[in-house]
Amino acid sequence: MESEHDRPTAAEAADALTEAEASRTTLAHAITTPSWCFTSLGAAVAVQIGLAAVGFADGALLPVAAGLAVFAAVAGVQLARFRRRNGVWLGGFASRVVLGSAAPASVAYALALAAAIWAAAGEHWWLVALWSAAGGAGYALGGRRWLRTYRAEPAAHGRGESAAWLALVALAAVGGAVLLAAGA
Amino acid sequence: MAELDAQIAAPARLKLMTTLTAVSEAEFATVRDALEVSDSVLSKHLAALEDAGYVRRRKGVHRGRRTTWIALTPRGRKALSAHVAALRELIRGVD
Repeated sequence: MESEHDRPTAAEAADALTEAEASRTTLAHAITTPSWCFTSLGAAVAVQIGLAAVGFADGALLPVAAGLAVFAAVAGVQLARFRRRNGVWLGGFASRVVLGSAAPASVAYALALAAAIWAAAGEHWWLVALWSAAGGAGYALGGRRWLRTYRAEPAAHGRGESAAWLALVALAAVGGAVLLAAGA
Repeated sequence: MAELDAQIAAPARLKLMTTLTAVSEAEFATVRDALEVSDSVLSKHLAALEDAGYVRRRKGVHRGRRTTWIALTPRGRKALSAHVAALRELIRGVD
């Protein structure tokens, strides 16, 4: 530990903290999303919800798997573009925005998926399309909201959930989807 | 009173570690530009903080070229929190 001689004055400590926090804020504000990021993620989620609803209604695994593949491809591309563009890896962006673990995105997704499955069971296809689009829009808006929250408090929101936790959730989601489709 | 950490005492190191709390991992040039320091200055501070177990460096690729990716370790986050708490106490005049 430091000696008394090295101990900063209150003014020096305040200056050092202010400068350090300003640097962090500058970096957080410089982080931007790739073009069409939220739009493409919203569209991919809408496609995934629509195909999942069709798959559950028909008891077919193929549409469910196709929807998940579309989402995985778009998510992978956007994560790679984000990393390349900013020179940073932001766990919060990966989990809260791309994988939709932020509360607004996950609630919008769950409600839209349930409503789309219900509509597909009654063969109301226009409603399936409507709920799918609504789910995608809610997902994208949730992502935009997270980015604003992150810029306001980067240290609190930058890291997101651990990779192990996300892998577990993704595995549970895929497993649940397969079981639902198989049982439909 | 909480203890100040000698490894983070230099304002440049406090700035570096605080900036890294905004991300999970950052590429060397991104950090250098954010801190507005030279490659050699950043490398020197990183080496010291890595020796203390506060940051982790790994070789990787960015935009097709080899580079270094930097991240805070859990130990580094804990040390930074304690150091910042000590600085805040100092600012408030707590003994």
